[in-house]
Amino acid sequence: MSVRFLDLARPSRQHWLGYLLLLPAVALVALIIVYPLFVSLDLSFQKIGMATLSAPRKPFTLENYHKLFTSPDFWNSCWVTIKLVLVVSAACFAVGLGTALLVNNRFKGRTLARLFVALPWAVPEVIAVVIFAWIFDSSFGLMNWLFIKLGITSQMVNWFSEPTAAFWVVAITMIWKGYPFVSIMTLAGLQSIPEDFYNAAKVDGANAFQRFWYITIPVLMPVLGVTSVLVVLWVFRDFSIIKVLTDGGPLKATQTLSIMTYDQAFGFFNMGYASAIGIVTLVLCVVASLLMLGRKSQAMY
Amino acid sequence: MQRTTLQTLSLYAGLAVVCGVLLFPIYWLFVTALSTLAEIRQLPPSFWPADPQWSTFAKVATERPILLWLWNSTLAALGSVALSMVVSVFAGYSLSRFSVKGGRSLGLFILTAKMLPATLLVIPLFGIFRSMGLIGSLWSLVLAHATLIIPFTTWMLKGYFDTIPRELEQAAMVDGCSPLGALFRVVLPVATPGLAATALYAFVLSWADYAYARTFLTNAQGSWTANLGITTMKGEYVTDWNEISAAAVFVSVPIILIYLFLERYLVGGLTAGAEK
Repeated sequence: MSVRFLDLARPSRQHWLGYLLLLPAVALVALIIVYPLFVSLDLSFQKIGMATLSAPRKPFTLENYHKLFTSPDFWNSCWVTIKLVLVVSAACFAVGLGTALLVNNRFKGRTLARLFVALPWAVPEVIAVVIFAWIFDSSFGLMNWLFIKLGITSQMVNWFSEPTAAFWVVAITMIWKGYPFVSIMTLAGLQSIPEDFYNAAKVDGANAFQRFWYITIPVLMPVLGVTSVLVVLWVFRDFSIIKVLTDGGPLKATQTLSIMTYDQAFGFFNMGYASAIGIVTLVLCVVASLLMLGRKSQAMY
Repeated sequence: MQRTTLQTLSLYAGLAVVCGVLLFPIYWLFVTALSTLAEIRQLPPSFWPADPQWSTFAKVATERPILLWLWNSTLAALGSVALSMVVSVFAGYSLSRFSVKGGRSLGLFILTAKMLPATLLVIPLFGIFRSMGLIGSLWSLVLAHATLIIPFTTWMLKGYFDTIPRELEQAAMVDGCSPLGALFRVVLPVATPGLAATALYAFVLSWADYAYARTFLTNAQGSWTANLGITTMKGEYVTDWNEISAAAVFVSVPIILIYLFLERYLVGGLTAGAEK
């Protein structure tokens, strides 16, 4: 009986077993991802406070979306999200690329250096918040001491009640948590470049900068493209860092779309309105990643 | 490439500076945990605890339900990892070996599931779990974390299965193994390192969650996970930074250990399904 299964080795083979093996994953994903997604899409078209499945469905309305697009709060959150995405992604790339290039050199202890350079990846986001909340503490924090010592400010800064300062504290925490990812990905990309490329370029008289610009960057391009999408999506959707560090404040200076969604749902119990914000966030995420992946495919030529 | 001594020295110097700055926050966490309250409240700060207060760890562990929180985090992670691994092993194997109609689009769908904001999914899940009576129970986290984990594990495992030659199963089947037997007796043993790395990575994903734990478990103190518990300490004891830091050390050490173990495999997890 086993003979007919030998065809398993042929890639084109379609087999009932293939479907059977997929079934548990499909069922589970349908139950905990697809179905909830439809529920929230449905909720976003209802004027509903607390969501219960047993309650009768409220009438269809576009009110949530109307309220959303006319709300200054929403546009403020969009602006905060975009600012944060740009600042954090750019800095993550700068630090991540720099560290990756640094530990890509050959030297003794390189394995250890690689482990250390990306260590913040292993610190849970909430713990990173604890650390930075302490460093930026207004009474005994290290940063105030450093700023006064360096003469940047003359008195204690209350980092969490000053909108601009709070934004930067959030950004710095996210950069610290996010750069190791870029570093790890870039390093993997760098490892895939054959030494011969550089040797050939050197024979042709290319200097270090030319070797970097004409070999390293083009080869890294696909990796960097994928990495940038993932970093942007991470900043876009992050919840725990901002929620625990500033809770969106002060004066909504750090209220991203994720925080706004959550606060509307579980702070004010406007589940319908919150779902509408969440759906818009999802659409923005998908559009942003499609745009970026489109650019990536062009950059590969 | 030959380097001069000067170049080598400046490389090490640069490395020391970069690591010093980037790892300082972790160092500071440990120093704070070991400092006395007086040391914490002095300016200029002391960068090295004169008399390391190891007792703070014992104090936090006995006066605070830290161990319970860690246990809850572990339970939720084990549950969601087990659930996700079982379905992902089968799905990943199917995506790797069979050409199933719609398999490709299913794979792509699972991939886009990684784009879902947790803050969006948490709303309907809260309603669903409330009707199921799961709010306040760790089971809500097992299911919710599976939404985070399955997209990663399915693609990671597909990647590992792709690297295992099909001839292995062919040989087993010639010897009379059934296709499922070949999966369990031949493929999975060969893929064990990959399975272990995937499971550890999934464990980290679950352990890192805060959004779902906060939403489902806030009113059930007995079920608090480590991340949730520690944020309540931050709000409550604003000035006792040494105790919060000691608690934070408890929470981060397991993940740092896993990271040191996992580092080689990390790229596979981070990129799972991302490259075409």
